[in-house]
Amino acid sequence: MPDENMVEVGDLVKIYPGGTRAVSNIDFSVSKGDFFGFLGPNGAGKTTTMKILATLLKKTSGVVTVAGRDVDSEPKAVRRSIGFAMQEVGLDDLAAGRDFLRLQGVLYGLSARESRRRADDLLELVGLTSVAGRRVGTYSGGMRRRVDLAGALMHSPDLLFLDEPTVGLDPQSRLTMWEHLDNLNAGGVTILLTTQMMEEADRLCRSIAIIDQGRIVAEGSPQSLKADVGGDVVQVVLEGADDALYAKAEDALRQRARVDAVNRADHGLAVTVKDGSAAVPAIVGLLHDDGIPVANLSVARPSLDDVFLKHTGRTIRVEEATGDEVGEMMRPLMGLKKR
Amino acid sequence: MTVARETYFIYVRNLRAWMAQPALVISTVTFSLFMFLFFGAPLSGMTAIPGFPSDDYQAYITGMVIVMAVVFNGSDVAFSLLTDMLSGYFDKLLLAPVNRFSILMGTLLMSGTRAMIQVLGIMVMAAILGVRFEGGLLGLLAILAAATTFGIATACLGLIIALKTKSVQVTQNSWLLFMPLAFLTTAFMPRDLLTGWFKVAVMLNPVDYVMVGVRTIVIEGWNWDSILPGFWVLVVTTVIMLTAATWAYRRETA
Repeated sequence: MPDENMVEVGDLVKIYPGGTRAVSNIDFSVSKGDFFGFLGPNGAGKTTTMKILATLLKKTSGVVTVAGRDVDSEPKAVRRSIGFAMQEVGLDDLAAGRDFLRLQGVLYGLSARESRRRADDLLELVGLTSVAGRRVGTYSGGMRRRVDLAGALMHSPDLLFLDEPTVGLDPQSRLTMWEHLDNLNAGGVTILLTTQMMEEADRLCRSIAIIDQGRIVAEGSPQSLKADVGGDVVQVVLEGADDALYAKAEDALRQRARVDAVNRADHGLAVTVKDGSAAVPAIVGLLHDDGIPVANLSVARPSLDDVFLKHTGRTIRVEEATGDEVGEMMRPLMGLKKR
Repeated sequence: MTVARETYFIYVRNLRAWMAQPALVISTVTFSLFMFLFFGAPLSGMTAIPGFPSDDYQAYITGMVIVMAVVFNGSDVAFSLLTDMLSGYFDKLLLAPVNRFSILMGTLLMSGTRAMIQVLGIMVMAAILGVRFEGGLLGLLAILAAATTFGIATACLGLIIALKTKSVQVTQNSWLLFMPLAFLTTAFMPRDLLTGWFKVAVMLNPVDYVMVGVRTIVIEGWNWDSILPGFWVLVVTTVIMLTAATWAYRRETA
């Protein structure tokens, strides 16, 4: 493995007992210092891949090395070299935040004294010093994510795996988390993150792999991926949500307008053209001639949404708050009040 | 880091988690107290039956109250483990570069400690109710050691249930499995006074041999004829359960 790659994945396949093929022959690598994003909808295979990289799940076939170690033959060395904050946040709700971190530290080989010092430093870093003595079960969603991040950093790993680190967070907490992650990456930590939020991938990542139905459908920097979409995207919303009308508009634009691509998006049509402002009058004229009523029309530079749409023919639907569902479910069982 | 050190830290964490749920501790104590109150004095007339081995019924059922608390301990351990599995914390422990058996050992040792503390409480309760321990101080220590060992064995059963089913429903209802183990015994009446299928079931139930051993220490003292079968059943059961739990754990965490 070249020294500069922290993660190397070759022809990885994961088939669950029962036959579900979660990951299909994927290849990718993450170079040292990179901020790498795995972008895809729920069930795309992101978490499965992440768990295989972290040694929590056995692969069916393929080659996976993390920090130069094979995940099958040297799982302990792999675990020592990574920090992992999971989607189903694995926190000890009955422990105080400080105690949770200290245990993480000693389990990763720090002495009790080192662990205490490191826990205090990290609590300060993620802004939780004032609640360090409170039980984790009483923390808000944002605080839970931050204490989980701190836990993943206890042993100062060079490589950090984050599985949907901001799902279910309010915008303010999300921004705070992004700042923490930016700072860590600037400090030299290689980060591999999964997300289904385009904005998150665009804001944080330098390299992105788009994964859908267990396959990587596109890979590159956000800029290059967006450039590949080609030109601008004109969003066309028709009056009423009539499927037949949309189909008619789609056909008309495909056959008679000078467009690169027409796709159905969440709220209308996404029409890819070379020059958005020049294309708008032609599109409006064409639809008007066919008696198709236009309600709204806007021009945008391509986003990662458009990249995903181009490669999969679908849009990602973000399902908010999935990360906290398990926690919420457990709360009544443990006699904890809803936060 | 040595396995012993890892085990110690996980053990302390589990102990703290138990202490952090006073309702769990209180309910166990209350359950045992109810056993004494509901079955002790009201059924004390049983001692008049010819062939009954003791004239103090509270002392007779002390063995039952002790073993029952330890048996149901297994169900509680299953639920604690499942809570960790569902919250993702169990995965977090597995992610640490530790020997994974220290996680298992930390959990089982904690169960043993828990059983020991519970039984200590029950013995204090029994003493307050006037029960005399014929086995003396050494007998008390032997009962505590047996409770700790048996607590580990029942915890193994609980662990297997949680690991294999991963289901809140099944685990929550695992007391249905522990119930016959606890009640198909000589809990209320000695074996000689039992009849029919019940007597057969009692003779097949390993828990009863442990119960007889513990009770003998309480009501008779060091009568080895009654204690030794319990001792061997305890040893064999614990070895079998530890092997089965280790196997299940290895499969689930491989």
